[in-house]
Amino acid sequence: MLSTLIWFPVLGAIAIAALPLRQSKLVALTMSGFVLLWTLWIAHQFDFTNPLLQRQEYLPWLEPLGLNYQLGIDGLSLPLLMLNSLLTWIAIYSSQEETERPRLFYSLILLVSGAVAGAFLAQNLLLFFLFYEVELVPFYLLISIWGGEKRNYAAMKFLLYTALSGALILVAFLGLVWLRGADSFAYEALMGQSLPLWIQIVLLSLVLVGFGIKIPLVPLHTWLPDTYVAASTPVAILLGGVLAKLGAYGIFRFGLGLFPDAWATLAPGLATWATVSVLYGATVAIAQKDIKRMVAYSSIGHMGYILLGGAALTALSLVGAITQMVAHGLILAILFHLVGVVEAKVGTRELDVLNGLMNPIRGLPMVSALLVLGGMASAGIPGLVGFVSEFLVFQGSYSVFPVQTLLCVVGTGLTAVYFVILLNRTCFGKLDNAIAYFPQVEWRERVPALILALTIFFLGIQPTWLVRWSESTAIEMVAATPTVTHSPIAQVSD
Amino acid sequence: MDFASLAVQLNAGTIVPEAIVLITLMTVVVSDLIIGRQASAQWTPYIAIAGLLASVVALFYQWDVANPISFIGEFNGDALSVVFRGIIALSAATTILMSIRYVIQSGTSLAEFITILLTATLGGMFLSGSDELVAVYVSLETLSISSYLLTGYTKRDPRSNEAALKYLLIGASSSAIFLYGASLLYGLSGGETRLSTISASIASAGLAQSIGLVIALVFAIAGIAFKIAAVPFHQWTPDVYEGSPTPVVAFLSVGSKAAGFALAIRLLVTAFPLVSEQWQLVMTTLAILSMVLGNVVALAQTSMKRLLAYSSIGQAGFVMIGLILGTDAGYSSMVFYLMVYLFMNLGAFTCIILFTLRTGTDQISEYAGLYQKDPLLTLALSVCLLSLGGIPPLAGFFGKLYLFWAGWQAGAYPLVILGLVTSVISIYYYIRVVKMMVVKEPQEMSDSVKNYPPTDWTLPGMRPLQVGLVSALIATSLAGIFSNPLFTLANDSVLKTPMLQQALGRSKAPIAKQMAPTISQQLSLQITEVSTKKAVSLPKSMVHS
Repeated sequence: MLSTLIWFPVLGAIAIAALPLRQSKLVALTMSGFVLLWTLWIAHQFDFTNPLLQRQEYLPWLEPLGLNYQLGIDGLSLPLLMLNSLLTWIAIYSSQEETERPRLFYSLILLVSGAVAGAFLAQNLLLFFLFYEVELVPFYLLISIWGGEKRNYAAMKFLLYTALSGALILVAFLGLVWLRGADSFAYEALMGQSLPLWIQIVLLSLVLVGFGIKIPLVPLHTWLPDTYVAASTPVAILLGGVLAKLGAYGIFRFGLGLFPDAWATLAPGLATWATVSVLYGATVAIAQKDIKRMVAYSSIGHMGYILLGGAALTALSLVGAITQMVAHGLILAILFHLVGVVEAKVGTRELDVLNGLMNPIRGLPMVSALLVLGGMASAGIPGLVGFVSEFLVFQGSYSVFPVQTLLCVVGTGLTAVYFVILLNRTCFGKLDNAIAYFPQVEWRERVPALILALTIFFLGIQPTWLVRWSESTAIEMVAATPTVTHSPIAQVSD
Repeated sequence: MDFASLAVQLNAGTIVPEAIVLITLMTVVVSDLIIGRQASAQWTPYIAIAGLLASVVALFYQWDVANPISFIGEFNGDALSVVFRGIIALSAATTILMSIRYVIQSGTSLAEFITILLTATLGGMFLSGSDELVAVYVSLETLSISSYLLTGYTKRDPRSNEAALKYLLIGASSSAIFLYGASLLYGLSGGETRLSTISASIASAGLAQSIGLVIALVFAIAGIAFKIAAVPFHQWTPDVYEGSPTPVVAFLSVGSKAAGFALAIRLLVTAFPLVSEQWQLVMTTLAILSMVLGNVVALAQTSMKRLLAYSSIGQAGFVMIGLILGTDAGYSSMVFYLMVYLFMNLGAFTCIILFTLRTGTDQISEYAGLYQKDPLLTLALSVCLLSLGGIPPLAGFFGKLYLFWAGWQAGAYPLVILGLVTSVISIYYYIRVVKMMVVKEPQEMSDSVKNYPPTDWTLPGMRPLQVGLVSALIATSLAGIFSNPLFTLANDSVLKTPMLQQALGRSKAPIAKQMAPTISQQLSLQITEVSTKKAVSLPKSMVHS
């Protein structure tokens, strides 16, 4: 029944594009709502104690190529599937009623959602690659048709970077399968370790760079600020909330899962790389004058924690990393959504112009309050979901990479700095009464933010509901990897 | 020699598909003469299409034929040639579908156009199976001369004339070079013209290392590379593609190219096994140059036909990867790619013809905002171009996947990586066209699109265009996802072809032994060693010691 998650949105997309339906938003919303419910039902049936693949589906497809239709979920993919279904629904809900060319828009969003679900579910390397590449053109169109200024430039940059990332990943996959002498790209068949270490390292590096573009990690990130800023709000939510997770998921599933030896060898380097990303993202975000750009750079920093958790490779840090993917997806979605609302109402994203939106009468009090909540969650304030995941990552990584972890903790401090700047300028201060004739904020704009805020808050005080999905899978993944030599400080801290 | 054994040796049944095309051709010519131009234009194209499809059906029955050698070794109708002949016939049929309206609108005679096109098809089909130097040259010239005529068909258009003249001059010199190479082969082998015996004769004469053989190889490759438009023998392509009538370009880029590849496989594998390292090296160079130059120069094009010209150079580079590998998987993925290329490239050309007929231009900038006026055309052209760019889940993606996977298995890592990189580059220029059509706002619409007339499918010749468009769209969308039958066909064609199995067997002895008994009527083309086997039914030409 996992196929439903892929094909229902895809068929919906074709139906919306082909049939002359008037209410395409309503149709898309219904379809994605159904997919969301279906995902929740699958999650309900999920067996927490089983670390292995569940609900597998298999259909022979292109045997000569070793490409078969193989699906399955485990603790790594299920949280991300739920995130994908939720954010698709949110993105469709939060899109403007008067979106131009609605049929194409909603059909592309549904198509992307189905393809991303397919990538999370695929248990065959080529099938994953296929789904990974399918979202390329729809996203290109989503950015370049409905984007802001510089959308053509941003969309083309996104397209070329992603296509290059796909090429690198394909080379790594082809290389792995050929060197292993396998005749199929099935994931299970390729697990385990038999390649010489240096080959593993080469292939892992290709995978890391390929997915590193998607995450993105510094210095492969230059497409991100342009793209996130140029994309319209629903598209930015999907880009930052879901698509970036595809990169992180790919690194875990195909980097860590397929090259455990090389991963253990490269882990210190990866942790350092993650730290560089975190610090770079945070410091550059501080310097931004555009709030959407600031949020975009914050995303670079936060994706770094995921890599840190993966590099440390303790059960705790891995659970933290998976949790961070979901947390970051939710937080980024609420921030992009609110920034979009602010831009729509106030007409600017400039920090120097924005002021005093918290004003209860003439400002945007509810939006500002939610923005404060989103900023707090992003900065890792306890009681919100961001804290849970960051704490898990740091707690799990400290014993392995104390220095890098401490530097990343400094990174969260810097996060607090730029969010204080953002919130202070945007929400507080004195509203200039002369210009403060903002349009009414509609419920359509409040509801997505409220849902996300509630989720962020609820998972913050009840983290088990988030953590339990991935626990056994994380333990299993750690067990499958050779032990990393602990540094002396680790023993002290234990 | 009694009549019965002569009939066996002629084995004329092998060329039934070509005979059907020939009969169709005669019917078209004669009926045009009898009933006149206006009346014949009503139905000659459909006769031609029916004839070509009948020829494809006849090819289907040639698939498992016991003895494919005919005309005392002139023609070899093995499975590989069957596939290539099928590709050429289908591309000609599709070309006719798209040319009816175009030729009518250009005010020239349709029946003559179809006649020349069918002649070219005939040449291409014979070329795919020619197993002997003279037959190769004659069919090559049939194809080439008809192609020159086709490029200059719209004779009142100066650009068409220019294209024809350029094509004729460069083509004639390349033919001459090829002929010179063939004559060298003839001399070196001591008077052999059959491809399969040439190399054995050269080897037994102790000339395997001679410089003459290398020169013959270089000249032969020059002739082939001209046909498949591989860099640096591609200079004619952009000008000829830009000036010629668009349906002709479609045929040149698919049918003629497929014939060139058929010739390349057969000639290089059977006549030049002694210098296989050299020809692989030369072809590798050509493939690299084609992929890089074709895809990079395409970035700068402003005319749609020129864009497709350079893109087809790049595509030929991809196909050549399969040729170079010299493995089963390499050849079959090459054949598969050509089949897929047939759908997507002809689909793209159908769209361009439709657009040109509506607006009279083929500038890329004139496509701006087309989605508003013609969604079907926009969809079809986008799908075909994205498929050429290798975007999943379209057919071109799977074609490239098969090719790259075969390349990787054969250890051609640099080629595959270069192929991937140039594919990424190619996405840029394909998506540029898609962007023009889909992304542009209504106010950015080009003048041509603003004045875009509503499509009237009832005009004569429009229905076939519509049929071609929709079927190419469907095939391009689905041929990849359901590629099992097509790939099995491609794979079988390689496995059933004795020529390729022999060539592969030299490097992989156990496989050759495995394959040998399955091939009925095995013909021994002993290449490196002196022949000890005797061919079953062809005593004269096959035995040598």
